[in-house]
Amino acid sequence: MKKIFFIVALCSLLLAPAAMAQVQPSDSQYAVSLHVGYAHNLTYGSYANFDIDAYMPINPYFEMQANVRTSTANVHTFGVQLRPNFALPVGELYVEDRLMLRFAQRDSYRDFVHAISLGYMMQYVNVQVGMSNRIITPLPYTNHSEDGMILEPFDVVYRVEAFVRPQTSSWNISLCFSNMDNYQVERMWQPMFYLGGWYDMNEHWRVRLSGKMKLAGMFHLNAHYYGAELRVGAEYRF
Amino acid sequence: MKKNIQISLGSLFLVLGSIFTACGPDARLDMVGMFAGSSPIIDKRFEQSMEYNKQAGYATIQALTDDYHVYVCTDTHIHKTRKRWEYFIDAYRADLLCPLAVHLGDIIDATTDFGYIEEALAPHPLAAILPNKTDTLMAVCGNHDIYFKQWEQYIKTFKTSSYYFVVKTPTSKKDLFVVFDSADGTVGKKQLTWLRETLAWAEKQDFRHIVACTHTNFFKRDNSQGHSSNFTQEETYALLNLFTSSGVDMLWSGHDHSREITQVNGMTSIVVDSMKDEDKEPYYMLVTMGEKIDYKFVAVP
Repeated sequence: MKKIFFIVALCSLLLAPAAMAQVQPSDSQYAVSLHVGYAHNLTYGSYANFDIDAYMPINPYFEMQANVRTSTANVHTFGVQLRPNFALPVGELYVEDRLMLRFAQRDSYRDFVHAISLGYMMQYVNVQVGMSNRIITPLPYTNHSEDGMILEPFDVVYRVEAFVRPQTSSWNISLCFSNMDNYQVERMWQPMFYLGGWYDMNEHWRVRLSGKMKLAGMFHLNAHYYGAELRVGAEYRF
Repeated sequence: MKKNIQISLGSLFLVLGSIFTACGPDARLDMVGMFAGSSPIIDKRFEQSMEYNKQAGYATIQALTDDYHVYVCTDTHIHKTRKRWEYFIDAYRADLLCPLAVHLGDIIDATTDFGYIEEALAPHPLAAILPNKTDTLMAVCGNHDIYFKQWEQYIKTFKTSSYYFVVKTPTSKKDLFVVFDSADGTVGKKQLTWLRETLAWAEKQDFRHIVACTHTNFFKRDNSQGHSSNFTQEETYALLNLFTSSGVDMLWSGHDHSREITQVNGMTSIVVDSMKDEDKEPYYMLVTMGEKIDYKFVAVP
């Protein structure tokens, strides 16, 4: 049974590119969104997240996004993404430059992540791959110690996302496999799984609902549940 | 940059290659475990370890001198041969200053019978006069030790994978070694609570040194980690904070196969080199536990 499940999962992953189709035009509206999430993991137990995101298309070829998350787990994240994009006859090519500062105050550590990736967006599929580096710093940090910052200079980031309808649709459902989102960039061998959807109530308001699952030990080959998050929110488009 | 790209592509091919080498009688990796592992998950394994600890208690080992030696090896990945494993056993048993050795996991490669490991321990004359030969070799399981339902064999052979032991010296100095299971990349909820309680207790005792031992390495500082995964970020910081605020002097781990020494908030984290028979540069670590902890790496022929 487990082998069948494994083969089906592998085939789904390999056949995902077959879902590729038409070009996805850039969303040209400024938007602000608010989300709340209930989350649980083996380390923190239960906690809640509160997110504010701002999406800013500067011009048809350049977008910016800012993300802030605060959490009852006493972990706080600030992120900025810069995204130049280039329309192609089919789909859109983009470069995403992501900077993220994450304060794990509960554990007195801070990490700063820089990730740069190349993405290809189509109506039904979004694929992204790139590299990241991370600086881990104990808090409070002092320069008067032989202990320095810990640099993890090279890691791989990736994202494979499939949508059931074209992304211009008024509602949609997506499945995603990635080691990064707006509030966390994990190491290469620590993927996270997402299931999400949106519904446009009118021209300005969009509601979103999504779930995230994080397994521990996938690449230790003894995978099991580590954490999950259920997130709901609304987005206002100007 | 070129090397980074090579490592990335190498990792990808390794994963794809691994998928295709996961079947057959001589399988080395249990790839189905990416989605559903064949051994019990960490909380269950921890319970089994605690059951044994409850019955057997926690070991206290008497060192013959205040400065004593601990031999540390990891990632022997014993498959068809055990040449370096035998070399290591002979080395630590021949050293009269050494009351114990530690294996940091990935003792076997995947489907190797743990009896093959025991055979190498059993014939040595010293084993016969020791009440329990596993007391002289402290082990913790690694991910390769639990593939293909091998946890059952591990626990039968080594009895526990989450425990602590104390080494006492002739002048009543005491060192604490806390060993914890990270074979599936997490310490889990129950073991984390146990670690917190154990280290809170340890802070109230008069230990000269506290050393934490596990399989999975904490950081991803260089390209050597192309093939190996770590703890989740949340757990990495929680464990670091716990160890550095509880007076842990050293953290010993393996998994990465390459040496890495990191100073973090007053603690020294050491990833020990692998010691596979196939390795070009195998090492074990020889630690001298004295007023200071000194260590060196010894090449294995």
